[in-house]
Amino acid sequence: MLIMKFVNDFTGRSPLGRHCTVHLKTILTLGLLCVASGAYAQAGPGLDDPITNWINEPVTSIAREVRNNFWFLTLMFAPFLIIPQLVLLIGIFKFKDSANRKPATFHENVPLEIAWTAIPALVLVVTAVSSFPLIKKIETPPPADVRIEVIGHQFFWEYRYPEYGIAMSNEPLVLPKGENIVADLTSVDVNHAFWVPAFGVKMDCVPGRINQIWWNVEKTGWYKGQCAELCGALHAAMLLDVHVVEPAEFEAWIDAKLAELNGEPGDAAGAGESIAEQADIDDAENQEADPIRREVDFINPPLDEQGRATDAATETTE
Amino acid sequence: MTFEKGGLAEVSALIEEPKSKPSADEKGTPAPHFPEHPLKPQRNYGAFLNTLGSTDHKVLGILYLVFALAAGILGGAFAGVIRAQLTSSNLEVVSPEVYNMMVTMHASVMIFFVIIPAMAGFGNYLVPLMIGARDMAFPRMNAFSFWILIPAAILALGSFFVEGGAAQAGWTAYPPLSLKEYSGGPGVDMWVLAVHLAGISSITGAINFIVTIFNMRCPGMSLMKMPLFVWTWLVNAWMILVGTPVLAGAVTMILTDRAFGTNFFKPASGGDPVLYQHLFWFYSHPAVYIMVLPGFGIISHVLASFSRKRIFGYVGMVWAIALIGVIGFLVWGHHMFSAGISPSLRLYFSFMTMLIALPTGIKIFSWLATMWGGTIRFTAAMKFAFGFVSLFTIGGFGGLYLANVPFDIQVHDSYFVVGHFHYVLVGGSIMAMFAGAYFFFPKMAGRFLDEKLGNLVFWLWFIGVNVTFLPMHLLGVMGMARRIWQYRPEFEALNAVVSLGYVFMAAAGVIFVYSIVKALRQPRIDPSIQDPWHINDVQQTLIWAVPSPPPAYNFDKIPVIK
Repeated sequence: MLIMKFVNDFTGRSPLGRHCTVHLKTILTLGLLCVASGAYAQAGPGLDDPITNWINEPVTSIAREVRNNFWFLTLMFAPFLIIPQLVLLIGIFKFKDSANRKPATFHENVPLEIAWTAIPALVLVVTAVSSFPLIKKIETPPPADVRIEVIGHQFFWEYRYPEYGIAMSNEPLVLPKGENIVADLTSVDVNHAFWVPAFGVKMDCVPGRINQIWWNVEKTGWYKGQCAELCGALHAAMLLDVHVVEPAEFEAWIDAKLAELNGEPGDAAGAGESIAEQADIDDAENQEADPIRREVDFINPPLDEQGRATDAATETTE
Repeated sequence: MTFEKGGLAEVSALIEEPKSKPSADEKGTPAPHFPEHPLKPQRNYGAFLNTLGSTDHKVLGILYLVFALAAGILGGAFAGVIRAQLTSSNLEVVSPEVYNMMVTMHASVMIFFVIIPAMAGFGNYLVPLMIGARDMAFPRMNAFSFWILIPAAILALGSFFVEGGAAQAGWTAYPPLSLKEYSGGPGVDMWVLAVHLAGISSITGAINFIVTIFNMRCPGMSLMKMPLFVWTWLVNAWMILVGTPVLAGAVTMILTDRAFGTNFFKPASGGDPVLYQHLFWFYSHPAVYIMVLPGFGIISHVLASFSRKRIFGYVGMVWAIALIGVIGFLVWGHHMFSAGISPSLRLYFSFMTMLIALPTGIKIFSWLATMWGGTIRFTAAMKFAFGFVSLFTIGGFGGLYLANVPFDIQVHDSYFVVGHFHYVLVGGSIMAMFAGAYFFFPKMAGRFLDEKLGNLVFWLWFIGVNVTFLPMHLLGVMGMARRIWQYRPEFEALNAVVSLGYVFMAAAGVIFVYSIVKALRQPRIDPSIQDPWHINDVQQTLIWAVPSPPPAYNFDKIPVIK
């Protein structure tokens, strides 16, 4: 009924239709916005990309549940977005000032006020409770198949595999598919945040604290991430890549890595120099193999040209 | 006429009433509380010095607003630099250091020198008029509150010219990044001192508002007869008074860590960076409400006035404002869902954050009911009020998602959050300030702002806000982190749209400033016109029962409300 009236008003079949010029602008604006957003969402390569596809193709159970929770929230909350906007729009159409109409005088309606407090309260309780199992899942890591340590530095990531005695920086994190990864996060200087959107996990790396997250990737491939907490001038350059491989391949990689590290004198975890050198070699190899890895470098060269790169940044770049 | 809640019956008649019967003055016995004559006129030092030395709440209110406008132009320019840098993925319009300075100072200027002072400006001007007082309770402290903002601004902006430049640690200034080891140079120190001074301004201002509202209401003006704008400022002042000292304490610890070798936030010496986040957000989340609550008040007045209706659900509105004031202090942890706080805290803050949606929802629904059934006049102020309701609803909608822990973890520190709070602050607070400017300008300046230009400003701003901040939500969901100087090429298309939106908003700002200049060059309307919008027969607010602009000390006789 109301919608038909709205349509009639708009198309000028009712007395209110003559005010169309005002409303036309509103409609046009909203339409334009929708079209523009839609067009750019389609045109942008974004949503199909590994960094972004957690909404379409989640690769961890956490990401999938976050996605499902997101759509559930949208379903529950949508009325509270749409109804006020519609009421506002209809009101603007319907109640334009005219000489032959007197304004209403009501200014209280207790049942109505109770209703619009109680119904949202109910919806909020439902949505809040609906996310409890997921929060519990995020909070309680299952038994770890692979433990890693992620250490934030200005401005690069250091990864350690304590079970294997491997430590490395400036290279992609390599993880096996289908196994529970439990990561301990910390930082040696300022706050950083480890974020791989495709995994649906994010946690701050806080110096002096160890935060824990876990995930289990179901699909092999390259995944992009980034430091998500402002950590200084080169914050933007603090990208990260995760290479998820078949478990067998992962074992092979571990062996190769250990062989490489043991080929050098000194302890793997302690010898920073050897690790850095090793990282350089590995990085060069990756650049050929992996298109994503090459893309990472878009951000770094300008920093060097300006001569602003610190020791840390030089490590990141090279 | 009987009294109804939220409005004042027969105000105009009452003000003139003393003429018809013998007043206390003629009998020679002064009224107990209020001097019958306005206080001594100020000595005349010429228009310029009179303005600078004034303790009149109206002059100070306008000074606040002019200060906020000037700072707003600057803060907008900083945003322009940010958007220019981010138009494409690998530009180098500015260096990453300068970019971080821009990010830090855009936020700091917009919060501490634009929105908070502008709301204080409206409050200063309107609150005494609305409660029938001749000035604020402490006029000299009021002047102090304003003038201390000047050194604050000089410190904040002067830091651009010192060695190492302005603070680069973001307006949140999280340690350890903001400590000496990672932010050398005096930039952060100057920023901290600027925050201190701005905080002193806020606190003294808040004390002034509380004392004024509790003690200087005219006879008969009970709390539940106060206009909603006064209510929003009362709650707001309490929030400032409770929150700001905590912020001052937090940044002082940063200062002593930097300057005197204390170890509050240094992990190596047993300090805890997360402690700072708790203290910071204990103020800075309520600060969001501090920035938007007076806007709620303005919107209530504008919507009711141009619908020719009384505000709907006055009692519910008052309770909603008060509840926001209380719950606003219990939700800060949702800024820290990914900082490594305990699971029970995550649940608690998630719940409280959802809870605060209820009073906010009550306000939105009540505004819609206020407008419903009225005879709407599409003045520029009214359009801004409609725009506010629409955009603030979208902003609040994003907030509901962010209250949800799993989704918040995913988009925390991403552009989703940036889009969300810009909808609330730009689509909310600033939209309300525009509405207030168009609505109260005739009262303040005795002239009308150009309605046609106002229409243009509204549409440019409304479209600009949506084009700028809607794609940001999408960018955040796609995975673009905040505060990055360059970004992955995937995000290019949407960022170009965002930068385009900035152009709309900048154009709106320029036209708004032009329309103020244009209005001030027009002749004044007849000052005896009390109610230039012809709304007060329904609204019955004291502010529309005094000349435009109001004389010094506002009321010849203190009005009495029946």
